[in-house]
Amino acid sequence: MISPAAGEHPLQYNYTFWYSRRTPSRPANTQSYEQNIRQIGTVASVEQFWKFYSHLVRPGDLTGHSDFHLFKEGIKPMWEDEANKNGGKWIIRLRKGLASRFWENIILAMLGEQFMVGEEICGVVVSIRFQEDILSIWNKTASDQVTTSRIRDTLRRVLNLPPNTIMEYKTHNDSLKDNSSFRNTKITL
Amino acid sequence: MSSERQQTKSCPIPTRVLHLKDWTQLPDCYSQTPGGTLFSTTPGGTRIIYDRKFLLECRNSPIARTPPCCLPQIPGVTVPSLHPMGKLQELKEELEEEVKDLPAEDNQFEMDI
Repeated sequence: MISPAAGEHPLQYNYTFWYSRRTPSRPANTQSYEQNIRQIGTVASVEQFWKFYSHLVRPGDLTGHSDFHLFKEGIKPMWEDEANKNGGKWIIRLRKGLASRFWENIILAMLGEQFMVGEEICGVVVSIRFQEDILSIWNKTASDQVTTSRIRDTLRRVLNLPPNTIMEYKTHNDSLKDNSSFRNTKITL
Repeated sequence: MSSERQQTKSCPIPTRVLHLKDWTQLPDCYSQTPGGTLFSTTPGGTRIIYDRKFLLECRNSPIARTPPCCLPQIPGVTVPSLHPMGKLQELKEELEEEVKDLPAEDNQFEMDI
C-alpha cells in the first residue's frame, strides 16, 4: 500500500508509471500489448513522483516506438480496462523536439489537479513515434461533453497551445474497432 | 458600476480534515490558499491542488532526490544511478556525450560544482 511518508506532500490520487515499446513490424493485438507494457512504480506524494520521474529518461530521448504512461493507480493504460471502456482521449500531435517539455507540463497539471473534472481523468500518455510524437489524456466518459470541453480548455492553458492548435478526440471504442490509437479521430480547432 | 446591492446565498467554506499523528506531518502549504486554477467550481468537493511552480520547487527537496527503491532496470528508460545533483549531472553527461568524438584529455570538460 503506497502512501505519502511523513513530511511529504500527498497527491489527490496515487499514480503508476508504465512503459511500453513495440517493434513496428509486429502487428499489435490486445495480448501482445498487455505483454509489452510494464509498470515502473507507483507514487502517492509529490516527492515520490520526483524520485521516479528524475530516474526516467526523458521521452525525447526514448528510441523506437515507445510510450510512457502515467495513470491513476488501479487503472491499466488499456482500452479494455473497466475505467476506460466508455472513455476516450484528447490527442495533440507534436513535432519532434517538444515531447519532453510537453510531457512534463501535462503530468504536473494532472498531478496538481488542474483539470477540475472530478474523477474523470484516467491518465496521460506520451507516444514517441517515427516522425511525430503524440500526447494523450484519457478520461472515463467520452460522451460527457462538459468534461471533455473542460479538459480541452485546461490543456490549452497548461500547455500554452497556440490558438489554432488542432486537438483531436477519439473514443476508445473507436480505437478498438479500427485497432488504432491515433487514426480516424474527431478533429477540433 | 451598479449601485444595486443583492443578497448572495452563503455556503460554508469547504474544508478537509487531516488527522495527524505528529507535527512533522503538517503539509508546508497548510493555511495557504492553493495555487489557483482556471475554474471556480470544484466538482467532487475539496481537492489537493498544486500549481506547476510549487511542484517544481519540491523537486529539489532532499527526499525527492534520493533514488526510489525497487526501480526496475530498463536500459534506455530507467536511470538507476542518477547523481543527487540531478540536473547538473544530466547536463554534464550531455556535454561529455557531445564531445566524446574529439581527442580530449580527461577532465577537460569537468564542471566545477
